[in-house]
Amino acid sequence: MAFNPLSEKGIPLDRQLRSWSELAVEPYRTEDVHPYTRCRVILMNGIEVEAIMNSHNAARRTADSGIKQALAMVRRVEQQQQKAVNWLIPGSESSIANTIGYEQVAVDLTSWIARHEPDPYLKQVYEFGVLEDYDHLYRYANLMDLMGERRKAEAITGDLTEILPGRPTIFQHRDPHDELRRPMTVEAASVQSILNALTVLSAEQQTMNFYMTVGNRPEHPLARALYQEIAMIEEQHVTHYESILDPMTPEMLNWVLHEYNECWLYWSACETETDPRIRGIWELHLAMELEHLRVACDGLKAVHGLDAADFFPKGGIDNPMTFEPNKEYVRDVLDRTVDWTSWDSEFVPINDLPQGHRFFDYQHQVNEGSVPSEDVIAAHRSEFSQEYRFATEGDHPIIALRDSGTGENTEYAKAEQQARREFAE
Amino acid sequence: MTEQHGTLRHTMDKASDVMGGMMGRAKAKTAGATSTAAFIENATIGNRYEIEAAQIALKRSRSEGVRAAAQKMIVDHTAMTHQMHSALRMNETAGAPLPPENLDTRRAKLIEHLETAPDDAFDKTYLDQQVLAHKETHDLLSGFAQSGDNPQLRSLAAASDPVVLRHLAVMERLRAGDGG
Repeated sequence: MAFNPLSEKGIPLDRQLRSWSELAVEPYRTEDVHPYTRCRVILMNGIEVEAIMNSHNAARRTADSGIKQALAMVRRVEQQQQKAVNWLIPGSESSIANTIGYEQVAVDLTSWIARHEPDPYLKQVYEFGVLEDYDHLYRYANLMDLMGERRKAEAITGDLTEILPGRPTIFQHRDPHDELRRPMTVEAASVQSILNALTVLSAEQQTMNFYMTVGNRPEHPLARALYQEIAMIEEQHVTHYESILDPMTPEMLNWVLHEYNECWLYWSACETETDPRIRGIWELHLAMELEHLRVACDGLKAVHGLDAADFFPKGGIDNPMTFEPNKEYVRDVLDRTVDWTSWDSEFVPINDLPQGHRFFDYQHQVNEGSVPSEDVIAAHRSEFSQEYRFATEGDHPIIALRDSGTGENTEYAKAEQQARREFAE
Repeated sequence: MTEQHGTLRHTMDKASDVMGGMMGRAKAKTAGATSTAAFIENATIGNRYEIEAAQIALKRSRSEGVRAAAQKMIVDHTAMTHQMHSALRMNETAGAPLPPENLDTRRAKLIEHLETAPDDAFDKTYLDQQVLAHKETHDLLSGFAQSGDNPQLRSLAAASDPVVLRHLAVMERLRAGDGG
């Protein structure tokens, strides 16, 4: 069933503000919430945060007081939407448990987007990123045990997402130049490609924001260190994903694209939500977003003289973004590309980097001494005699990671040793 | 080769570089500025020439400024080459021709002139070539960004042109003798 937000009618803007009591939503119960309901809450919070920050940035770059007023009014409602969504997360859910939810979003959202991305280059951009978040889920799951959390990570993720080593975090640290990809163009890219990029970028940006804020909350030194290390990878991921967006997108079209994306994702949440109470929130927010989109389209017409209908498919969007298991897909991506890295906008096997490449220098600088993402696995082995893993589909597809999640047997480790030998000579 | 013949040859090579550069600029301003096929060919060869020329400069120049500029050319034109490869893997460039794998005759001659330039004339030869080559690349990129027939490659050209203009400014300063 297709959905066309341009032909739907929403709630008038002057009737969208809510009272404090209306915003005081009942949180979900962390013990029995469906893992993918938690994922939708985390994702839609990230989508609202991006909508708000994009609107603030647009307001700072426009002198048109009418447009500033429209941005401010819509933004005030987006702020209330963000509060309603993010306050669904209960205080009883610890930061580390919520972190597991964030990484499950990263794995199953990015996998779905990669599977539905029509452009072969952009598909590779998502496949490259997903293996890194997959590894974060595994490292945080081991940390969760060490922090004495009452639950195992699989109690958060259910049996929907496997928890196994991905591209080892230690080898994800790259020179900033190697996070910059080739942008698509709004003129020639498919609308689905633009929505995909806005969605994953928003989720990764909120993950970065979250770790930047909660990473210093634990007392456990290893926990603090692991949050720091992975927060730096999230900075890389935001750079990676924002660089595929068209930097020449006109300001008002950028606003329209954000609102259209919110409509698509709230519609997706309505279509896939299993909790009727929370589905009610998605339905309310969708009705609000339809009006936000109309206001943004008016801005596009007034400022740039462009008609939004010219940019979007006449029949709307066919597929709702769906949280669903991607176990075989992730295993396939691991099998094909676990030992890849990036060089400028391209992706290459680690062994294809030339001698003296900046990757090795960057690695040497940041990984000098101990590396928290390796230490957390060693500490888990030491305390529990084994690593924490959750596999439902058999052995790990990569032999080098089958018995050990630390990176010593990988192609990266071999390439680094070779680089050190060459440097010494 | 006697000294006299060496000097004569170097003078002939310089004249040939200038003529070639003028032809290159004319070509960059015409077909390269609108046609996808000509743009891919010229931009790819231009990047390859820059990298090969810089590698020779790293071996032969004794000037720190020239060597630093050459190192920067390798990094930046490798990035531009990668950006082109990525662009050509996108649906937005479906049907575009593959980039050439080798230098054309004109750029191969420039490389040959760099390899054979006398030691005491190397930096001048390299910098003269660099100024001409970057003017040609700027013509190509700014022209295609303005009126090229493929949106993805127009975007690539627009993104690369400011980098090339900064390269040109560095090479002109080095040639004027103020160290870049």
